[in-house]
Amino acid sequence: MSPLLSLSDLRVEFDTRHGRVTALAGISLDVMPGETLGIVGESGCGKSITALAMMGLIPNPPGHVTGGTISFEGDDITGAGAKRMRQLRGSDIAMIFQEPMTSLNPVFTVGDQIAEAILLHQNISRAEADKQVIDLLATVGIPEPETRARAYPHQLSGGMRQRVMIAMAISCRPKLLIADEPTTALDVTVQAQIFDLMRDIQAKFGVAIVLITHDMGAIAEMTDRVAVMYAGRIIEQGTSDQILDNPLHPYTRGLIGCIPVLGRAAASTDRLPPLAEIPGVVPPLHLLGDGCAFADRCALADDHCRAVRPPLADKGHPVACHKAGGTP
Amino acid sequence: MTTQAISPLREAWMQFLRNKPAVFGLVLLSAIILTILYGRFIFSGDPYQIVWAPLSPPGERGYLFGTDFLGRDILTGILKGGAPTLAVGVSAAVLTVVIGIVMGALAGYFGGWMDDLLMRITEFFQVLPALLFAMVLVTLFSPSLYTISFAIGIVSWPPTARLTRAEFLRIRELEYVTAARSIGAGNARIIFKVILPNALPPLIVSAALTVGVAILFEAGLSFLGLGDPNTVSWGLMIGQNRNFLLEAWWPVAIPGLAIFVTVFAVSLVGDGLNDAFNPKLRSR
Repeated sequence: MSPLLSLSDLRVEFDTRHGRVTALAGISLDVMPGETLGIVGESGCGKSITALAMMGLIPNPPGHVTGGTISFEGDDITGAGAKRMRQLRGSDIAMIFQEPMTSLNPVFTVGDQIAEAILLHQNISRAEADKQVIDLLATVGIPEPETRARAYPHQLSGGMRQRVMIAMAISCRPKLLIADEPTTALDVTVQAQIFDLMRDIQAKFGVAIVLITHDMGAIAEMTDRVAVMYAGRIIEQGTSDQILDNPLHPYTRGLIGCIPVLGRAAASTDRLPPLAEIPGVVPPLHLLGDGCAFADRCALADDHCRAVRPPLADKGHPVACHKAGGTP
Repeated sequence: MTTQAISPLREAWMQFLRNKPAVFGLVLLSAIILTILYGRFIFSGDPYQIVWAPLSPPGERGYLFGTDFLGRDILTGILKGGAPTLAVGVSAAVLTVVIGIVMGALAGYFGGWMDDLLMRITEFFQVLPALLFAMVLVTLFSPSLYTISFAIGIVSWPPTARLTRAEFLRIRELEYVTAARSIGAGNARIIFKVILPNALPPLIVSAALTVGVAILFEAGLSFLGLGDPNTVSWGLMIGQNRNFLLEAWWPVAIPGLAIFVTVFAVSLVGDGLNDAFNPKLRSR
């Protein structure tokens, strides 16, 4: 099966007051039709930039795609014109955002906004679009869709707004849905509902989902395959089972170690184990050296790690670490 | 949660109605406009016609506001001169807002060299002495209501452009703009249908206040003798009668009072709009 969306050695650079820094240093990634791909990493690792790059929405200036290709259904869209990209966005690739509070336009009703999205891509009358809006709102599980369509964003709860965003995103039956931390701003019970909804939508429309998150729990629950990102590179990639059961990169292990243990596992010990953390922070992009970007925070790092950047190599599944496969 | 949808505009209107000075201003302004629109049908005289002895005081021989230096009825002048005065004020404000929004929106939205170029042009207009520049324009094109409105518009748009640019700079970074782009909206749609409606509140306020400023500006130009000599306006009446101020105060004071009351009403409405659109002042 050929990939739906394919990034090949994609490089994105940003002009900053520290000069030009590399936000994505050669990312290669395939998204298969109908699958769910997870992209995990800390804030600042480049996962949102990857999402924006897939949509052709890297802010320019200050951002530049300086190398590599993005192709959609085998069609190179790296340097595609504005018209082609506008046609692609919404109808083939759609996106939902982290903050449902701020990703809806406050001065229009949610029904107007969804209708707008429909009318951008389909040649139908406003009345027909309005009818579709009601159906879409019902599909994403909004009660009383006729009334809610006339509501303004500030009159809806966070979970409801995220449902509206999803309704807008699927309004033109896209083949790929990019979800950039779709549940980060929501409380836990609502998170579960949104994930359920995304799974329903996937089952119903066969849409591929790219789920961007820093939550390993979401990865375990939602994804088929996972790419772990650190400082603008993919450092480990595999099926969700491979990554969760047999993480090879010390960073991935650290991320999994950061999931708090609750319930029976915690109760079996006398007191809760201390919550694990990865020491330090992601290094600023303009201070990256030649070695492994994670070396300064890694307990296993030696001089070789600090001098030579490890390539992404297959050690059971692709991982970029000199120490992977060795003794932990 | 209310099930009945209240649009942000409607909410602002309800807030406006709670503001007593603003409602007073609106009532006053409506009264002025109605008087101007219908008063001239009741007093259907010619404002240029000499009716009685020059500079006769108010009330003499039934001329409520007296006569001017040529013996023309001041009341007729006030009623007939109101429409041009307001027309100049409103059309100059419209011109100001249109130029200001176009310049500010393009500069703020596109940034980069477009921003640099448009903002340098804006600064060029901003550093010119406004009244002097307006006088030059009016003299150049010979005084008429159109050239006066045009001149006032040309000299007053820079603050509106800067305000629009600032709003666009702020709003274009918001997530709903990216969201709009992610469903395939193009630049024009994002500028006019996504960002502009959200940038409007401060622009509406500034437009309302510009009407007041433009009326004063027109009065200033007319006072200096650059008014349209073929159309009576309040400013022109002040300008023509100013030489006789020491003998008779009323031909100057009465049109002056009319200007004062009108600008006052416009300002009250403008301030009321400002409060109505300011979410921090909204009582919840």
